[in-house]
Amino acid sequence: MATQHSRAAARVMIAPSVILLLAWMLVPLLMTLYFSFLRYNLLMPGANPFVGFENYTYFLSDPAFQTAIVNTLLLVGGVLVITVVGGIAVATLLDQPMWGTGLVRIMVISPFFVMPTVSALVWKNMFMNPVNGLFAWIADVLGMAAFDFLTQAPLASIIGIVSWQWLPFATLILLTAMQSLDSEQLEAAEMDGASAWARFWHIKLPHLARAITVVVLIQTIFLLSIFAEILVTTNGGPGTASTNLTYLVYAESLLRFDVGTGSAGGVVAIILANIVAIFLMRMIGKNLDA
Amino acid sequence: MARAVPTRVKARNTAIAWIIAILIFFPILWTVLTSFKTEATAIADPPVFVNFQWTLENYVTVQERSNYFRHFLNSVVISVGSTLIGLAIAIPAAWAMAFVPGRQTKNVLMWMLSTKMLPPVGVLVPLYLIFRDWGLLDTRVGLIFVLTMINLPIIVWMLYTYFREIPGDILEAARMDGATLRSEVTYVLLPMAVPGIASTLLLNIILAWNEAFWTLNLTAANAAPLTAFIASYSSPEGLFYAKLSAASTMAIAPILIMGWFSQKQLVRGLTFGAVK
Repeated sequence: MATQHSRAAARVMIAPSVILLLAWMLVPLLMTLYFSFLRYNLLMPGANPFVGFENYTYFLSDPAFQTAIVNTLLLVGGVLVITVVGGIAVATLLDQPMWGTGLVRIMVISPFFVMPTVSALVWKNMFMNPVNGLFAWIADVLGMAAFDFLTQAPLASIIGIVSWQWLPFATLILLTAMQSLDSEQLEAAEMDGASAWARFWHIKLPHLARAITVVVLIQTIFLLSIFAEILVTTNGGPGTASTNLTYLVYAESLLRFDVGTGSAGGVVAIILANIVAIFLMRMIGKNLDA
Repeated sequence: MARAVPTRVKARNTAIAWIIAILIFFPILWTVLTSFKTEATAIADPPVFVNFQWTLENYVTVQERSNYFRHFLNSVVISVGSTLIGLAIAIPAAWAMAFVPGRQTKNVLMWMLSTKMLPPVGVLVPLYLIFRDWGLLDTRVGLIFVLTMINLPIIVWMLYTYFREIPGDILEAARMDGATLRSEVTYVLLPMAVPGIASTLLLNIILAWNEAFWTLNLTAANAAPLTAFIASYSSPEGLFYAKLSAASTMAIAPILIMGWFSQKQLVRGLTFGAVK
């Protein structure tokens, strides 16, 4: 039984984590909020007058903002669809009896451990490069013209690269969930004459619902903040064709040194992330309680 | 009981699975192979796979030209350092929440999870300015601090899910046998907690090693870990595929191997214990 004494001790043990995290969250957050109401550019020293919502009006009416929002949604949505569908397919495959499961698993999960800058640069140069890339060579062999992926379809190319990085994660989690499925249930269904498709659709997929929710939630958190892959492949371009919200705020803050606008953008990013978070937490809450 | 599967079906599964797995793994394989080629072979048309003159020249060049091991060391110091500090802060917290859960425990845990949803870009500006004013830009100390904080919620959560599985009854049994609090912790709790702590350590080093938002924005030549160093290859001059591959291979190899050993923990850790 927990005594009064141990409760007090517990509080002391939890305190450092909570205080540090609270400070880590609140201090920069309040600063961002404060800066977002100032005219503040690092290249123009001097007074930083209070300008009300001017930075917000400027940021939100910038055509780049709308592009960035659309790109962010396409990037997150595209990668989620590819990794969840692909993950279910690959996990189903790995769940079958075969030789060399261990080695196959190791190969499949490996991309997850590759740092973002490496995977982006490897794909950009050694695969997608229109002159020396492997894809250009394949196109050549097939008698097609080489395609300049990162110039002609920058966002789709980045979606491809990021999907490659996250497919292993989805696969691994879905596979783990699949293996916890009671095989007797499947056998019983099979004996009753249910087809492979019916067994997948009515038994396996519902069983995976919770794992899929978890995959969507966790990937969304990370995918909203995709940055390195864009920085090293396209720098958000051509124009703003592959700029997402994270990259746009980075560009305002650290490329144009516009602290005011960058902060306003940061606040907008936080608000949007919170909307997504509330929606997702509710979804996962429902799923986890069940 | 699993039924025997016809060999023909098993062979078909094996073939399909291997093809898919090799396709997924291919970019990594190709990078490793290219790192042993000369620059001319690296862009040869048609591409060569294994029948070329293998050379270690690229590894030597990468080290000589850019002091590669400085960045490698930065990665080690930053990822291991931030993980150890994170563990030191998180172990007591997770311990207390698992063994002395109060009414607020669940809320505190959910709140910690919610801090992970704060987009880093939302606090980029103030953090950059604080770092600039305090002389923390491009220092290992600064980066260790940031990575400790961004991974702390994951560390607490992971440890919590492991500690929660240690049966509380065993403590009472030890106490009945006259164990002091100290021997209770040393001989009963610690041995049971070690595997969980080890998995958390492993997964966090992986996450910190690959973190590429703060490392790119808060470092330059001095404290840059491999994530930031590799990014300098994005504006290449002349032939560089083989050297990029050599630098990349060294950057991903240690973590890839650690990752292979931590598959199970990865699922548990990254899903906050929701999928096991």
